[in-house]
Amino acid sequence: MIRALVLTVALALAGPALAHRVNVFASVQPADAGEVVVVEAKFSSGRIPALGEVVVEDAEGRVLATLPLTDGTARFPLDRGAAAGGLSITVRTDDDHEGYWLLTPADLGEGA
Amino acid sequence: MTRLTLAALALLAGTPAAAHYGMIIPSDPMLAQEEGRAVDLTISFSHPFEEDGMVLERPEVFTVTHAGETTDLRGALADATVMGAPGFTLTHALGRPGTHVFAMTPVPYWEPAEDAFIQHFTKTYVSAYGDDEGWDAELGLRTEIVPLSKPFGLWAGNVFQGIVRLEGEPVPYAEVEVEFYNEGQQASAPSELMITQTIKADANGVFTYAAPAPGWWGFAALNTAPETIAFEGEEKPVELGAVIWVHFEAWQ
Repeated sequence: MIRALVLTVALALAGPALAHRVNVFASVQPADAGEVVVVEAKFSSGRIPALGEVVVEDAEGRVLATLPLTDGTARFPLDRGAAAGGLSITVRTDDDHEGYWLLTPADLGEGA
Repeated sequence: MTRLTLAALALLAGTPAAAHYGMIIPSDPMLAQEEGRAVDLTISFSHPFEEDGMVLERPEVFTVTHAGETTDLRGALADATVMGAPGFTLTHALGRPGTHVFAMTPVPYWEPAEDAFIQHFTKTYVSAYGDDEGWDAELGLRTEIVPLSKPFGLWAGNVFQGIVRLEGEPVPYAEVEVEFYNEGQQASAPSELMITQTIKADANGVFTYAAPAPGWWGFAALNTAPETIAFEGEEKPVELGAVIWVHFEAWQ
């Protein structure tokens, strides 16, 4: 499943992605109701991208959500059913830098 | 030179031509997200070029520092045999991106051949998930090499620069020993002088070294502590070593 995720993202980001990369990290955190995925994006200089877009896909590459990135962060509720195979989270900043984080089933505590 | 003189010299020199090094060697100096979420650390006190281990007692301190926060890992160290001698291993999850600095303060080691105690404050920097923030972190150890070049992400042939500090202050003209971790005895030295190379820092305590080959290179800045430690009724000097391990990558 991780391989499928990696392949999907590699294809999506082929080519110029490396030259215009933003570092992305996502983690699951408890929330008042259930759990949320917190997405954090940062340029290699340490600066925080002001604006951008976050695309959340499942392991099969289906888009589950598209969210705005504000001050380098975004958050969305974790749907464990949809995320069972892992989530691919791609950040595209307004100045066209791209990066991604793969939340694997193991990251989600699915024991994969 | 007579055979007798040669033999006497050999005896004087003893077996360990190489220098002592505290060692913290991670399975990966730059962990990418596709490679997993944890590093395996091998911790020892050794002659790295000759892969000759010495006894490493459970360290006084073993920590990881990330984003200014230091976590005690001493209790998580697992006993292991490293290079034929007691050492430790540890698997540590890197929970967030950035540079994670592993550091060890060992128990002073009695070295009869040098009639002195040796204590090597040892560090290794590991970058997680493509983020190098914190690569120049200074931990405030009693003696420490603070990197001026990133201590990872260097090509073989690049220089590594660091500043030697003792009690927080730069050490002018500090002596720095440099040695390759000769894993699998892949390299041989044409002279014993080449097993441990010795360089000096400048007037500001800054030293520079260009590694000729990929792999792990250890830098040890050595100073003598003002205090002594009693051993069998005699006060003995204490060598304080500031050690950092740096990985150089093969040009692809």
